[in-house]
Amino acid sequence: MTLLLAALLPTLAAGPASSDTVKLPVPKVEYRPNEATASRSPWIDANGWQLLRAPARRYSYDVPSASVAIAALEAFAYGAQAEIRTDGAGTTIFNRVLDFLRGVPEIGDLPILANIGVIDDGSEETGELMNLLTRRNLLYRIVPAPDPHLDLNIRLGSKEYPKSEAGDPSELAQKIRSQLTDEKRLLRVYGSEVVIARLTGDGAHARIHLLNYANRPVKGLRVRVLGTFSNWKVAAYDKPGLKLEDFAAADGATEFSVPEMSTYAVIDLSR
Amino acid sequence: MHRRDFLQLATAAGAYAATPTDLPKYKVVTAFKPAPNPGMPGPYPGKAVRVHSNKSVNDATHKIDAPTVKEMLARGMCSLTGAKSERDAWAHFFDSKDVVGIKVNCSGAPKIFSAAEVIGGIVKNLVSLGIPPPNIYLYERFPDQLQSVHYYRAVPAGVNIFAAETTRGSVASYDPKTYVETNFFGEDDTRSNMIRLITERFTKIINVPNMKDHGAAGVTGCLKNIAYGSFSNVARSHNREKTNTLSFIGTLADVEPLRSRTVLQIMDGLRGVWHGGPFSEDPQYRFYPKTMVFGTDPVAIDRLLLDVIENKRKAEGAVSIWDRSMANIKPGVLDKRYNTFIREPGHIEFASQLGLGVYDIKRIAVTDIEV
Repeated sequence: MTLLLAALLPTLAAGPASSDTVKLPVPKVEYRPNEATASRSPWIDANGWQLLRAPARRYSYDVPSASVAIAALEAFAYGAQAEIRTDGAGTTIFNRVLDFLRGVPEIGDLPILANIGVIDDGSEETGELMNLLTRRNLLYRIVPAPDPHLDLNIRLGSKEYPKSEAGDPSELAQKIRSQLTDEKRLLRVYGSEVVIARLTGDGAHARIHLLNYANRPVKGLRVRVLGTFSNWKVAAYDKPGLKLEDFAAADGATEFSVPEMSTYAVIDLSR
Repeated sequence: MHRRDFLQLATAAGAYAATPTDLPKYKVVTAFKPAPNPGMPGPYPGKAVRVHSNKSVNDATHKIDAPTVKEMLARGMCSLTGAKSERDAWAHFFDSKDVVGIKVNCSGAPKIFSAAEVIGGIVKNLVSLGIPPPNIYLYERFPDQLQSVHYYRAVPAGVNIFAAETTRGSVASYDPKTYVETNFFGEDDTRSNMIRLITERFTKIINVPNMKDHGAAGVTGCLKNIAYGSFSNVARSHNREKTNTLSFIGTLADVEPLRSRTVLQIMDGLRGVWHGGPFSEDPQYRFYPKTMVFGTDPVAIDRLLLDVIENKRKAEGAVSIWDRSMANIKPGVLDKRYNTFIREPGHIEFASQLGLGVYDIKRIAVTDIEV
């Protein structure tokens, strides 16, 4: 069964995927409790970097029913056009996702908010770097040339970011984080290693997409956004009536807790 | 909101191998001010009452003798406070209006933990002062460990048995406004938040650790139990062989209101762990000190614990808790000849430099009681 997820209003479609679509891996988390690695952090298969790299392309997911929600919501959060193939049970879930998305307030196209500009040469190395930046909630956008309005601009192969460092993209992402500093980060997520955020805004408004890649709810997430906001609205998949808690704006930042989220929540902040 | 950077850490580091530049930078965020007389080190700095009884535990069956423990508890509290009756001794610290948290230690459960007989005795004394059972909380971070002890059998109905992380890693039960922020190893979540009950509900806390070895901290006693047992996201301090337990344990214990509200330390050393701690997977590393230690100064009690664990390890031919050789580090190997991490028993002296108690053994007055 094939389902078409358009940019904002998903549509059900039939038939095989068109040949010009880019196939995406199943979004998910792989826990590694017994694996000897430098980090015990779970591994997230997320596609945000690909969706950002080529926003005009069409994408396809072939997912089991358990992954339909995260696939559809990932595509929505990044404003991507995506076809989703799944089974009968997945169709029911997909329709539930569509019902939810129809209720998400329309706020128009807000610009991507980012600390980092990535000059994308299309290489695998730059792709993997963007993947790591996405997974660590180091907000970036792709720029054709260094943007002086951003805190950092990254071009792999430059003197500051030689190609040799791309061999360890995790270490490179850590270097970029150190250069940026946590204090300057437009958005921080505390309390989960499996939630990826996307931030858009225009100064007076901010929209935060939160995607939980695990197959279980996240409880007690804390989010910090630079900027002082007074008002909030939240819509959360599978959590109708969800309210933010411990909302506070001080010292040039706004913080709030999401008491529990399933696969996705979208939070709109305004001054 | 009150914020302070931990500039005093540079001073505190003076006595250690670590230099100030080795220490992580901590940002403490709390709205709470210290009480005029903070619970740690409390009214009895540099004082410890050590009560021993050969009858307290049966080595063969691992079972605790409840009447003996009851007497040890009474004698210890009376000696600590100078009170003539057990009730008067407890009234030194608590009254009927208090909401009391009891920080148990269940990381070695189901074999080594704050004994139900000890906890039951503490609760009984609190109730005798007029504190309603619903105003008493046994708390720990992880429910699986806590539930394995079955404390409900030892305390009156209505006493709360609370685990902070119903889902491992969840921060829902922690206070988002009270935390320590630091970046140890590049982890993305750089905050450790205090359990919300401590900031919003408890007026007093009793700390009931065990006598245990700890692979990263050297030993785990009063300081580690109250610090790592009251905050989220702490295991990140020992993700690598060279850990940050040296400074993190004392830093957390010093955060208000935890420091002011933790008014009593009762170390349950009836049963203990001399290697492989804080867990107790291998029975050959368990032992029976058959001792309880009473005080308000966590540093003084932990200073005594260092000798208990080190002497036992020496007697058993185990590598010293002070050994820092990388040659003796074998992560994942449970063998008394090897360490998992470079141990940091210096965390106790470090905490003393933060004002949490007396480390100098010559200045610690110990009263020994035999039951």
